[in-house]
Amino acid sequence: MSSRPAVKSSGGADLAAYVRGGNRAAIAKALSAVETGGEKSAALLRALHGFTGRARVVGITGAPGVGKSTLVGALIAELRKRNQSVGVIAVDPSSPISGGAILGDRVRMTMHADDDSVFIRSLASRGGTGGLSLATSRAVDVLDAAGFDNVIIETVGAGQSEIDVADVADVTVVVCAPGLGDDVQAMKAGLLEVADVLVVNKADDPLAAVTVKQLESMLVLRRRADREVPVLKTAAREAEGISGLADALDSAIKGLDKKTRVERSSARVQRLLAAMAGGIVTRRLKTARRKELDRLLSQVAAGELDLESAAVELLKSDVWRDD
Amino acid sequence: MNTSKHRPYRVLVTKIGLDGHDRGSRIVAAYLRDAGMEVIYTPPWQEIQSLVRLATDEDVDVIGISSLATDHLLVPILLEAMRAANLGNVPVVVGGIVPDEDEQALLLAGVRRIFHPGSAREDIVDTIAALAAKMRDEPGAESI
Amino acid sequence: MSREPAQLPLPGFDQARAEWRRAYSEQLPVESRRFNRSGIEVAPLYTPEHFSDERYMDALGFPGQGPMTRGIYPSMHRGRAWSQRQLIGLGVPEDYNRRLKRILASGGNAVSLIPCNSVYRGLDADQVDPLLLGTCGTVVNTVDDMDACFSGVAIDELSTAMNDPLPFTLLALLLAVAKRRGISWTKVTGTSNQSDYISHFVANHMFFRIALPGSRRILVDHVEFANYRVPGWNPVSVVGQHMQQAGATPAEAMAFTLCTAIQYAEDCIARGMEADVFLPRFTFFFDISISFFEEIAKFRAGRRIWGRLVRDRFGAKNPRAARFKFHAQTSGVDLTRQQPLNNIARVTAQAMAGIFGGLQSLHTDAYDEVLSVPTERAARIAVNTQNILHEEAHLGEVIDPLGGSYYLESLTDEMEALIESLIEKIDQAGGMYRAVETGLVQSMIGDSAMRFQSKVDSQEQTVVGVNKYRAEDDTEARASLKPPQPERIDAQLETLAQYRNSRDNTAVQRALDDLAKASESKKENVYAAVVDATVAGATHGEVVATLRGQMGDGEPLIVP
Repeated sequence: MSSRPAVKSSGGADLAAYVRGGNRAAIAKALSAVETGGEKSAALLRALHGFTGRARVVGITGAPGVGKSTLVGALIAELRKRNQSVGVIAVDPSSPISGGAILGDRVRMTMHADDDSVFIRSLASRGGTGGLSLATSRAVDVLDAAGFDNVIIETVGAGQSEIDVADVADVTVVVCAPGLGDDVQAMKAGLLEVADVLVVNKADDPLAAVTVKQLESMLVLRRRADREVPVLKTAAREAEGISGLADALDSAIKGLDKKTRVERSSARVQRLLAAMAGGIVTRRLKTARRKELDRLLSQVAAGELDLESAAVELLKSDVWRDD
Repeated sequence: MNTSKHRPYRVLVTKIGLDGHDRGSRIVAAYLRDAGMEVIYTPPWQEIQSLVRLATDEDVDVIGISSLATDHLLVPILLEAMRAANLGNVPVVVGGIVPDEDEQALLLAGVRRIFHPGSAREDIVDTIAALAAKMRDEPGAESI
Repeated sequence: MSREPAQLPLPGFDQARAEWRRAYSEQLPVESRRFNRSGIEVAPLYTPEHFSDERYMDALGFPGQGPMTRGIYPSMHRGRAWSQRQLIGLGVPEDYNRRLKRILASGGNAVSLIPCNSVYRGLDADQVDPLLLGTCGTVVNTVDDMDACFSGVAIDELSTAMNDPLPFTLLALLLAVAKRRGISWTKVTGTSNQSDYISHFVANHMFFRIALPGSRRILVDHVEFANYRVPGWNPVSVVGQHMQQAGATPAEAMAFTLCTAIQYAEDCIARGMEADVFLPRFTFFFDISISFFEEIAKFRAGRRIWGRLVRDRFGAKNPRAARFKFHAQTSGVDLTRQQPLNNIARVTAQAMAGIFGGLQSLHTDAYDEVLSVPTERAARIAVNTQNILHEEAHLGEVIDPLGGSYYLESLTDEMEALIESLIEKIDQAGGMYRAVETGLVQSMIGDSAMRFQSKVDSQEQTVVGVNKYRAEDDTEARASLKPPQPERIDAQLETLAQYRNSRDNTAVQRALDDLAKASESKKENVYAAVVDATVAGATHGEVVATLRGQMGDGEPLIVP
């Protein structure tokens, strides 16, 4: 179903129906509709709400150049072999200056061009961590409601975004490449903590085994009570180790007992809510009542008021309420 | 031009046929990004069916083909495939080496504009933005 | 290398300079600084304070010795003019043969063969849309095709630049033809013009056919094979042209090319070959941009660095190893579609820079080369440009005639320093293979391309006829692309089909299986198996498909 039906509709409800039916054009349009949020997006998501929660959401993240896109391509093939459908959201950073982006990840997965059970969508991170999580989570909901068994989120491994993907995913996979040496040691603390599965790609590299050992010892230091984090080796180009990765994903999902799922889910919603609220504050500051805001700003600039106190005052005040 | 008021335009920049030179398409992709657009950028040698699938799934507003040698001769085949997939209203532009005598034929086949070497940055960006804006405003575009 | 300011006891110098500076500022009270494409600042005037004769032996020396700056041979163009090696490739083999004979009749004996884009992509003619065949190069898939290309031509009296990338099936087909004609392979001379898979991976994606690790191995196999079986053949041409055309600055192009040569040399040494044996057969292929002095300095700096490099890094003692032999082509990137006859002037300037830079062979672009395969008339003008420069302007009469120019020597020094710092950067990234695997080189080139484009967009860099001096276009001079007539393409496809049917298909299949086995093994020479396969009758597409199946398709790393 790759063509757009010529049927006109009157809004969110019909579009939602087509999405749930798996119509590709509708899915594409729905993804566009929910990208920036707003009323139409909210209406669509409400219409889809009862149909989400079925897909396994897998986040794949890591530094640039480790081979994430190739790995995702290989993983898609493996999941297809297991008769599962796959939706992919490939995220690339937006330019902070222009707001534009170059989205180049999906083509490393082009082997799947003809397969109706694979849907790949490129997403720009659109200025900021909070924004990324929200937009991604809405996109995940659309693909979830469309009936895909798996939704893979591939994110660029720069800045905070790789930690944020854990907000949206059930299982987070962190990918490294061998020979990064110091970079492995310096891997952001947060990154290691959110990983449910660690993958060392380019396993044919002679340094791969060393990197695995390094990661294992780092994990020991940060041992988690609730789960074991497997360290796997893959060679994505040669499709080696991918079956093991798919198995590890199965285990990780199964290992999410109900209590953990609920805890994670509410922690996630909390973070998303905070992100959403933060976004609203940022936006409203732009239209804030200048006199009171300026007073706060000049107090901070003069050193009379520290930033933290100023922020608390800001939240308590009328400054940012609509005129 | 591409203000934060609306969802950034999504433009596919790609190559079909045999040629692999991408200096020009990379520069155009950068122009469009710097103008606030989202560019889905592919390597060369894309199959026509893959592009049709991509254009649907990515809900692109404009397609830009970078062409050298005789690859532009395949563009009418792409346009036909797009029409068959109900994507006939997605505007297509071509940039690169297109001989004068082929230009008319391409325009007649449905290509909206051809950018020869030496085309000005503003011209390229403004044209694509205008095509995208029109694409979004069309009545058929938003409905399913 | 440290440079101390020259000691200038010239009487009156300081005073005269001060006076000149004062008068200069009066005439030009406000001016912006000027930089060349590589980013080196260009002053308005150069004097002995920039270069003094004390440094002559260190910095220049004599041609064919020492720092090599002035040229790799003692007599350079005065002894033997640079070769005119014009690229030819179009249509079907008969078309190529016709143009080849015309070139040979006008006195050339150095030829090249440009195959069709379908061949570059590793495909036979029946695997692509016929619309795309024979428009930019010759369709050559089989030994019969190659035989037809050189019909009535003595291949053992020619030097052929085979513009065919790894796995070099076209050379294999040429060897098969030689075998057919009873010509010993020791008499086949020429160059694998496009052996530089790294440059293809980075900057000429169309030529990149086999994944990096496989390419790495096949190149060394190819060098070994040539060393033993085709000793008159230069198996390695390191290509700076692609990277410069993709946007690398002249300094970057030279640096990356040298780093690539270092990588190939290291790979050959790791295979057990001796530097003194294989280095003399390394050749280079460069773009010549219209940044006139910068290009001359680039080539002189390259010669100097290479001479040091082969001695210091590889311990080569053979003086022939230190010779930086290069072919150069005027840059098509500087040519315009608008007012195309202007390109004749551009090509002339570019050619002069290459000649003053001490090249060994030259291809001058035809003025319509931007648009299509050149017309006969344009091709003739391109060749005569060289004849005029050589025989009317006598540019080859004096060796390194601009040597000693204060500007040129200062610029050569600065280019050398910049190139060396770039080589250092690649060294630190683990060498050229690693640097391109990770996309470092691609990013640098992309940034340079964007920077240059910004200068053109802002009109800081003029492009005549495009962003300045525009005019109603001279359509008379704009040649049109004449694709081969459909009947000729149909005939070619017919020939191919008949060829496939009439050969010994069992032998071909066996040879292709052997090729697959060779590429799986760690020890066998894959290129020898390629040659065996073509001798057995395999087509170009079949050989490439077999290797792709075993070693992986070439997917260049695209860094947007």
